[in-house]
Amino acid sequence: MKPVALIAINFLREHRWPVLILFAWIVLTALAAGGFGRDRVVSDDVVFYVEQQAIYICVFSAFLAADALDNERKSRRILLVLSKAISRGEYLLAIILGTSAMAIAYAILFGLAGVWLTARAALPSSALWSMAVLIVAGSLIAATVAMFFSTFLNPYAATAVTLLLFCAPGALHAQRHAAAIWFPGFPILVNVLRFSFRQQWAVNWPSVIAAVFQSMLFWAMAAVVFNRKDIAVPVE
Amino acid sequence: MAGILDYNNVTKDYGSPWSKRRLRALDSFALSLDRGEIFGFLGPNGAGKTTAIHLALGFMRPSSGQGQLLGKPFGDAATRARIGFLPENVALYHRPANKLLRFYGALNGMRPARLRLRSNEVLREVELETEGNRNVAKFSRGMQQRIGLAQAMINDPELLILDEPSSALDPLARVSMRELLLEANRAGKTIFLSSHLLSEIEMICHRVAILVKGRLMRVGKVEDLLISRDRYEIVARGVRASSFEESRVRDGLVTFTVGAASQRDALERVWALGGEILSVNPVRRTLEEFFVELANKGADA
Repeated sequence: MKPVALIAINFLREHRWPVLILFAWIVLTALAAGGFGRDRVVSDDVVFYVEQQAIYICVFSAFLAADALDNERKSRRILLVLSKAISRGEYLLAIILGTSAMAIAYAILFGLAGVWLTARAALPSSALWSMAVLIVAGSLIAATVAMFFSTFLNPYAATAVTLLLFCAPGALHAQRHAAAIWFPGFPILVNVLRFSFRQQWAVNWPSVIAAVFQSMLFWAMAAVVFNRKDIAVPVE
Repeated sequence: MAGILDYNNVTKDYGSPWSKRRLRALDSFALSLDRGEIFGFLGPNGAGKTTAIHLALGFMRPSSGQGQLLGKPFGDAATRARIGFLPENVALYHRPANKLLRFYGALNGMRPARLRLRSNEVLREVELETEGNRNVAKFSRGMQQRIGLAQAMINDPELLILDEPSSALDPLARVSMRELLLEANRAGKTIFLSSHLLSEIEMICHRVAILVKGRLMRVGKVEDLLISRDRYEIVARGVRASSFEESRVRDGLVTFTVGAASQRDALERVWALGGEILSVNPVRRTLEEFFVELANKGADA
């Protein structure tokens, strides 16, 4: 497991600049939503901020994971890593782990920024930490599905297909159907978009658990496909 | 007996099965490396050398045939902990050299204490011990190549697979690299060396294989391959050089070459002219001459 953790840390290190910019984005948007400390904050602004951040991180995770394989193959750095005692499945797991670690850090920062905002808007902050859990689960499933598609599609197409898969059930009004929970990411998206500071809102735990299991399934499928890929063939 | 690296009729095609632009990179390739040898792998650009190496490492799958690396099928992850690999045009993460070496070593399951020791050792071996804290992004191409070799040796591998290790190295660094490989071989490591530097291969390899257009043209001991059974060199004295074509005189000895078929006639002629035969030996070609001859044959085929 240590090699997987090392590749995950290395993956984060390689993407430190976009990740740091994303982190700066949370702080800046929190400051903007909080009126830079001057005016009293409106509840709707905080809700918008929370929903927006949750969606951003899921999309960013999908982009990050979808680009990982393509980027490593183009740079040919993957050759040295996979010439070591690392299986392809472990390599993919490391990318998911790296993306998830980034999402956890993001969720914590999001929570802290949100606590400051809710204090200014005189709102309860406990719902923010529930939202942080959804953010991590949403990022996990978004990254895994995008990575699965990136094993046979280019990163842009992989991200587009992932987002389509997440949103398509919404267009089909699938949320009215009990089977909607089985669409990867969709129940989490619905849960995020229904966020409010009222007591009726809560984390939809079955959707979080489903996201974890679906992530494992997509990781396994990605490993099967990636195992059959010629990784030494240059990607264009 | 199985070798340390075996290819059993391995064929590799690029392109999808229904594509018209399907390219056969390797054609029924069979080869076996013996433990403890330095094996030279030669071929013109596009011959399939790198494809063969990548198949052994499990970077791609054969279209047909199979192979074993250290007795396990190609692609077995755990087996790769016992080998070292340096790719052509090595691409490294931009980190300090010693940290990078520890990273690659740790991927092979090495423990921190041993990693610290080995990273210092291999940095010394590739003559970069003073550069350990510098980021490899600031290294010259040749230095990066040496770090590439260092990461291949960090786990003290049984088999080193090196794809053009001397490319980007200056002549002095090439000599060091050669000595390093010979030293590694003396320590019991098997070396599979793909290179365009024929003089280097001729100097250090026990056996070579020549690949042209994906086909194995010849494999054998360097000495055996370079000795021509078609032409013989005769050294005689007591005869005039003008009596024989393509002859030269040195210290009163006449040296000339003849084809195998006319060897007997040439010897009788020396005796008929009152001369004395000092030696008759098969002509030894250079590896370059042999390589060019085979590459041309392969290109015509």
